[in-house]
Amino acid sequence: MIRKLDPNPKNPKSRGMLCARGNAGLLQVYDPKRIKKPLIRAGARGEGKWREVSWDEAFDYTANKLKEIKLKHGPQGVLWSSTEAFAEVFFKNLGLAFGSPNIVRHPTLCLASVNLAYSVTFGAVPSFDLQNANYVIMAGANRFESFITPDTMDLIDSTMNRKTRLVYLDPRFTVTAAKADEWYPIKPGSDLAFILALVHVIIAEGRHDKEFVKTYCQGFDQLAEHVKKYSPEWAGNETEIAAANIVRIAREFSDAAPRALFYSGRRSSWYRNDFQMRRAQAILNAIVGNWDKQGGVVPNSKIALGEFLYLPWDDPEAPRIDEMDKNFPLAAKSDGAYLKLRENVLAANPYPVKGWMICKQDPLSALPDQSKTMRMVEQMDFIATIDIQMSDTAWYADVVLPESTYLERQDPVEVLAGIWPVVVMRQPVVKPVHDTKPCLDIVQGIAKRLDLGMYFDYTIDQWNEAAVKELPLDAPMDYLRNHGVYTPPGGPNYGATLNPDHRFVTQSGKIEIFSDRLKEFGHDPLPVYQPPEQPPAGSFRMLVGRKAYFTHANSSSNPWLLDFAPENFLWINPKSASHAGIADGELVEVSSSAGSAKLRARLTEHIRPDCVSMLHGFGKRSQWLTRAYNRGGNDAAVLENGWDGVSGNAAMHETFVKVRKA
Amino acid sequence: MGGFSALVLTTLLSLGAFAAAKGSEGKGRYYFRQTCKDCHTKGAKGGEVTPLTKTMAQWSSYFVKGRHTSAEPLAKLMNEQQLLDIQTFLVKHAADSLQPETCGK
Repeated sequence: MIRKLDPNPKNPKSRGMLCARGNAGLLQVYDPKRIKKPLIRAGARGEGKWREVSWDEAFDYTANKLKEIKLKHGPQGVLWSSTEAFAEVFFKNLGLAFGSPNIVRHPTLCLASVNLAYSVTFGAVPSFDLQNANYVIMAGANRFESFITPDTMDLIDSTMNRKTRLVYLDPRFTVTAAKADEWYPIKPGSDLAFILALVHVIIAEGRHDKEFVKTYCQGFDQLAEHVKKYSPEWAGNETEIAAANIVRIAREFSDAAPRALFYSGRRSSWYRNDFQMRRAQAILNAIVGNWDKQGGVVPNSKIALGEFLYLPWDDPEAPRIDEMDKNFPLAAKSDGAYLKLRENVLAANPYPVKGWMICKQDPLSALPDQSKTMRMVEQMDFIATIDIQMSDTAWYADVVLPESTYLERQDPVEVLAGIWPVVVMRQPVVKPVHDTKPCLDIVQGIAKRLDLGMYFDYTIDQWNEAAVKELPLDAPMDYLRNHGVYTPPGGPNYGATLNPDHRFVTQSGKIEIFSDRLKEFGHDPLPVYQPPEQPPAGSFRMLVGRKAYFTHANSSSNPWLLDFAPENFLWINPKSASHAGIADGELVEVSSSAGSAKLRARLTEHIRPDCVSMLHGFGKRSQWLTRAYNRGGNDAAVLENGWDGVSGNAAMHETFVKVRKA
Repeated sequence: MGGFSALVLTTLLSLGAFAAAKGSEGKGRYYFRQTCKDCHTKGAKGGEVTPLTKTMAQWSSYFVKGRHTSAEPLAKLMNEQQLLDIQTFLVKHAADSLQPETCGK
């Protein structure tokens, strides 16, 4: 029996700290409403009637359904969806070995636009050296409230001790705003104007790092010409941040460089121009020369893990259903573009997809426009989910395959990337409490029945031994079993790419301020500002956010975590609420063209009058999520469908809503 | 591992998996790891080689021109289809290719 969880003091990523979710993790194991055995649906979808079955029966049933769909529609007729997890590779490989091109992961619901913007510019997705920065600009990335790690605590500490100056832009007054030196309630969607004006001032006043730009960058002259029109006065009108402040921030930022950075944040699924806004951030960071320097933007160091040499399968014959090559040719094909994929599945374009395998993902909660996702569920002939709990999507599945929790299973060895990466190995601390299995066992059970067993003919120990064999240790597996983590000696490394002969992983080999490749594919080679559409009178822009108490939509039924936020509220400015006659705590209905949700109103000056906001992860449909079921409102039901045109990243801050008493 | 790899190769050949004329990215990745990585890792005699070592054009011409002059000829190490698979993998992930880094795996 696990009574308490403690952090691993040897792990520099946690440094003796365990967050709320880390502490509450043990309740995953002992949740009385856990999925305790494999389940096959016994009633209508969503009715909640299940038959407990043996693993053999669940595997046979699943494999037979997959074979039927393959026979009728080809292997491309099954969609495989998963989200980031150490064992995700096994699930993804099952989809590929099955022959489906349709593997879709989470990045286009998360940070695909940041990844692509930095890849196009620097050829790498970097880390932000917050611990050593003297000047940080954050726009909307509510780090102090939504992403609590030791690095966050360091930044809070250095901000409060006046070592780091933090400038924060957000239509909401968040915890990050409360700790920042300056907070600007920027007009939503105008961040790009602010950044372009910073670049304008820095170049106009010759404050850029001329030597760095000359040695490592291409396209600076075109940038200088391009930003001439983006004056601080112009940006002041667009952003509602006074021009004098924009000028001062530009000067302070460039003076503090290279220990100054514009932080990208994690979930960058905001606007339809998100890629270009992130590109502008990357360009701003580039021209002040903070790349690969302490306190700047730093490429991740590598620890090369070995790989178990498993058998290769044939490449899929069919194209991806989201037609990545046509729609998002620059984006990561192996991740897919979730919302475009959903459109094409619903339209059976260019072919039908009738089976849906899901691992550790809850598309009904994660994707905007839940009614569309529900239509996708309804048109599937077969759905199976692998999860540790009865998520909303599992609730509508035909088969539920219970995975052991992270405290009950051996996971694959993994590198946690960063400026100072580490290798971690998560081991079971208790035997599975119920009839559950780790992901690899589930994958192998299905693969064997699909005659794909030869591609998964290894154990988790063999996999891990192959992974660690190159580590500079005498007995790497023993070391990891004893310590749980391997930290390379020394510490963070800076400057490995600061060699004039270094070839950046871009088309030109340089840091690309101007991108020929973007131009070639019909996109703006430098970020161009388009004013965002504003909500009509009587409507509000919906903003969504996260709190670090909850892991996306997954842990809002955890009683310890729920103590922090027992339900979500609709943040609304008192001025706006009074027009609609809404009182604090009153039940309201918030609605868009996609759908509606009911939740209680919180009247607060902490949000602009033209916006409303709600926390993600509530208003659940699954009755087994006893504490989150029907509690608060579900943002996925209200958010409209839409995406960024370059990366395919969901645009979750483009929905205008009406609010009325429920 | 060597014995296992040989067995794997024999199995694949007997399955007639190389009938297709075009290169397979997935199989190329496998052959690259199985064969090339023996010599082309950090500290090994061939020095570290990854897809990022060259550009798309450089990888294409490398195989056309039959380089690898300081070691055994590639044609002795692998058959034509296997080399085409490796080339396909290397070109698709070359330093200037369209494959950006991503989050996680």
